Amino acid sequence: MDLATNDEQMVERALSGDPEAFGEIVRRWERRIFALAFGMLGREEDARDATQETFLAAFRNLRGFRGDAKVSSWLHRIAVNQCITRQRRAKVRGETALEDEAEKNAAVFALPLDSSPARTAEKIERSMAVRRAVGSLPPDLRQVIVMKEFEELTFQQISEVLELPLSTVKSRLYTALRQLQMRLQKFGD
Amino acid sequence: MPNVNERPICHRAEDLVTYLYGEASEADAKDFSLHLQQCNACRGEFGVFQQVHDSILVWRNEALGSAFNPAVRPVESAVELTRSVRDGRRLSALAALREFFTVSPLWLRGATAFAAVLLCALGVLTISRSWNRPVQVTNREPVVFPNSEREPKYSKQEVDEAVRAEIARLKEQQTSTPVNEGLTTRKPTGGDRRNQLANNLVRPKALRPRGLSRQEREQLAKDLRLIPRDEDELPFVLSDEPNQ
Repeated sequence: MDLATNDEQMVERALSGDPEAFGEIVRRWERRIFALAFGMLGREEDARDATQETFLAAFRNLRGFRGDAKVSSWLHRIAVNQCITRQRRAKVRGETALEDEAEKNAAVFALPLDSSPARTAEKIERSMAVRRAVGSLPPDLRQVIVMKEFEELTFQQISEVLELPLSTVKSRLYTALRQLQMRLQKFGD
Repeated sequence: MPNVNERPICHRAEDLVTYLYGEASEADAKDFSLHLQQCNACRGEFGVFQQVHDSILVWRNEALGSAFNPAVRPVESAVELTRSVRDGRRLSALAALREFFTVSPLWLRGATAFAAVLLCALGVLTISRSWNRPVQVTNREPVVFPNSEREPKYSKQEVDEAVRAEIARLKEQQTSTPVNEGLTTRKPTGGDRRNQLANNLVRPKALRPRGLSRQEREQLAKDLRLIPRDEDELPFVLSDEPNQ
């Protein structure tokens, strides 16, 4: 597939019946969408599910895509909504305790075997603290920090995705960083 | 990590995050770096935010480093999933089933599995019942033999016909043999006797018919009330020599 073809043209191709066009869109954006979902949800398995659901929802609503917005913004918006919905469901089911335990186990297995037990424990604790701190942010702050830190989107891109003024994005990011600092302070002491 | 809340907040918060993430223009970056040298609040926050930023980066790299293992890349699954949804004709039955169970919610998966098990059970039950049932050639009602464990194999009409044929055969046999065969008084010779034994035709002695004596006949007539007490009522006269 021609890399010079932009996303909007890909959508047009997909709508006109090109079987490979939407696959190309998925290939281009799946890493970023997965990163976003992981930052929002904090678990690899949930992030993978949310990524799949995002692209499925996008494909099903392909005809509803408005040409006045970017495909990337459209995909990110779907992904953010998917993540918020999943979090709401998880909250209703009360999965936080199990999530923590599963995440801790995953972190232990992910670490290299040659690290000392004390260093391993410290790394795990730090990762858990950061994940908890990000996870405890309000959704409007969390999505901004995740888009910035995990996806490395520019402020302009974030404002387009969230349909917010640029200044609002910056102020939200500033607030998110302050709240994260406060939550991580306990870990540093 | 120093506490940000203890410091006064500078009005250039937005410039701070723009500078922190390297998105400020060259002129703005130069301007803000001069501001950092003069503003303690911004300098303190800049250091703190950089630590937060580094912590998140460490977590991200750890997490996404394992998550983006080529063996478990979500890309492939997402691409395959959308491709299979797009082009349903390409799916095999197994792939379609797998995709259905991947996309469906848990309750739908459970319900489908239960329905499938139920359907299989019903199918097995139906097949096992039809397997044991005899093939019905006609619509005639089959004969059910009491105390018989086996299913009836003949219809009533067939049984009746068989019985009639057997009776006819027996009757024919009886008519073909002489009636007074057993009443012959000829004493068999030794050779005849041997032939009878060989053919198993020798009848038991008790079953061999013999003529009634006169006394027995009279007694029988009396028992059957064939002999009236008065001579006038005599309907008929018994012969003295019935067997003669």
